[in-house]
Amino acid sequence: MIIQQLVNGFSVGAVYALIAVGFGLVFNVLKFSNFSHGSTMGISAYIAYLFAMKFHLSIVPTVSIGTIAGGICAVLVELIAFRPLRKRGGQIVYFFVTSITMLMLLENILVIFFGDTFYAFPKMIASTAITVAGVSISTLYLVMLGCSVCALALLSYWLKYTKMGVAIRAASCAINTCNLMGANVDAVISWTFFVAGLMAGLSGSLLGISYTLYPQIGQIVVKGFIASVVGGLGNLTGAVVGAILLGILEVFFIATIGAGLTPAATFAIMVLFLFLRPQGVAGTIVRDKA
Amino acid sequence: MEYYTSVLMFGAISTIGTLGTFVLTGLTGLFSLGQAAFMAIGAYSAAMGVVRYNLPFAPAVILSVGIAVGLAYIIGYATLNLRQDYFALSTFGFGEAVRAVLTTSVQLTGGALGMTGIPKLTTGPLVVISLVVVVWLIRNVRVSRFGRECVALRLDETAAQAMGVDVFWRKMQVFMLGAALSAYAGALLAFYTSYAEPNMFGWMRSVEWIIMVFLGGRDSLTGALLGSFVLNTAPEVLRFASQMRTAIYCILILVTLNLRPRGLLGAWELSFSGIFGQRRSAVTRGGGSQHVS
Repeated sequence: MIIQQLVNGFSVGAVYALIAVGFGLVFNVLKFSNFSHGSTMGISAYIAYLFAMKFHLSIVPTVSIGTIAGGICAVLVELIAFRPLRKRGGQIVYFFVTSITMLMLLENILVIFFGDTFYAFPKMIASTAITVAGVSISTLYLVMLGCSVCALALLSYWLKYTKMGVAIRAASCAINTCNLMGANVDAVISWTFFVAGLMAGLSGSLLGISYTLYPQIGQIVVKGFIASVVGGLGNLTGAVVGAILLGILEVFFIATIGAGLTPAATFAIMVLFLFLRPQGVAGTIVRDKA
Repeated sequence: MEYYTSVLMFGAISTIGTLGTFVLTGLTGLFSLGQAAFMAIGAYSAAMGVVRYNLPFAPAVILSVGIAVGLAYIIGYATLNLRQDYFALSTFGFGEAVRAVLTTSVQLTGGALGMTGIPKLTTGPLVVISLVVVVWLIRNVRVSRFGRECVALRLDETAAQAMGVDVFWRKMQVFMLGAALSAYAGALLAFYTSYAEPNMFGWMRSVEWIIMVFLGGRDSLTGALLGSFVLNTAPEVLRFASQMRTAIYCILILVTLNLRPRGLLGAWELSFSGIFGQRRSAVTRGGGSQHVS
């Protein structure tokens, strides 16, 4: 029973980790909390749903379409909302306010086109649970875990060994210097949003498939926000650790004290944690002044 | 006629709540993602005081404001020393925790179905007087030494500290003031609509308040007042276009942020004497030097 809960917590945490990493990537480069990440999740989940319904796709193409849709959507959001602001040299607070406005706007566009109702993806996986050594594990949770781990591994490889990955890391350090060294900052930022959007699309479609689809699905982005702040903003590994801790805690609390009080318990743990370790899991502090 | 009065009353009450955000974000630059939770605390504790413990109206309202201020003190004590993101995160967590507790303690609050049977004690004159007093109060706070110290710490915390501003305590005071305003608005709201439910006070509500403040301009009380009054009233008036209205606002706000990033009114204030207006804009001019290249 405990092992089962742990696996479930790990799977939920892995999806939160995807969100947190996408959130953290943009934070690293532009130093603002990008809540529009959530709307990217929502829109890509709906696009995946549309394709899945229309062409009766199985799970792999559905999730792939969702992922790519997320990437494209995030790049468009950056082009429409953040690039003009950046060209005008706006303060960081305006990026933050723009991102929460985009979250509301895109959520509302989903409501306009799809209504305020719940949708369910068609059943995509035949067996609902498999039993390993007496522990019964939901197949969907395993899929979530597998996809997330693969995506995170690919991302970390990409950030470490490709030219664009190095450029993104350089831009996270000092975006102006990165510009002076000849990197095309516009391209770097577009790539950052694209990759963050891929993460958002993947997490959005996974969440849509395993739960239900509703316009407010993008608000799950706050889990990524919590995880990346607890992990130490600016540190992706810390964000992953924070997200998995959050997932396990949530599953544990839901099993013991029920879903209703879970937010209160999570809040208490979070404040305690910030009190004891204000620098976050990773222990590095990024100075910012939003 | 009755309908329009109630829409206006509702807008005015929400505006008082939004001014809580304006005080916090405009003076100290902090973002609270749980400001609406203070409204919930105000609404519920005042309503419970009257309905369950038979308190008179005024003590119940004062008590509810006191509870909100006390909670703000506790949260602020834990998080105002930390980075701003931690503050935003903690207020968010606080808001969701409040909502969770209100939803689960069904016996006391009515749970997700909401609390009904609250007597209708908020009158029109009370709302109007409250709004006027609150606006007068904020305006005086902003031009006082206290307010100028706050704006200074928003623009450059280190410099303000070097000049002898007690940064932590100023932030704390402003946070408590904002909480008091939002809680007061919550109490008025509960006794006006005679109904309260936890989902009226979610974090997206706090987000909406931030957006409203930025539409009018966080350096302009007049702008924030107009912005929040219009945006708090319009949803009711624009019922016929209910599906589109939020989308329209959001586009309006995005355009504003791009063309006039400091809000529609910038730092302009409606004032009775020109000198007064000039002095104030001198205080709040120069929106900082933090640029992203």
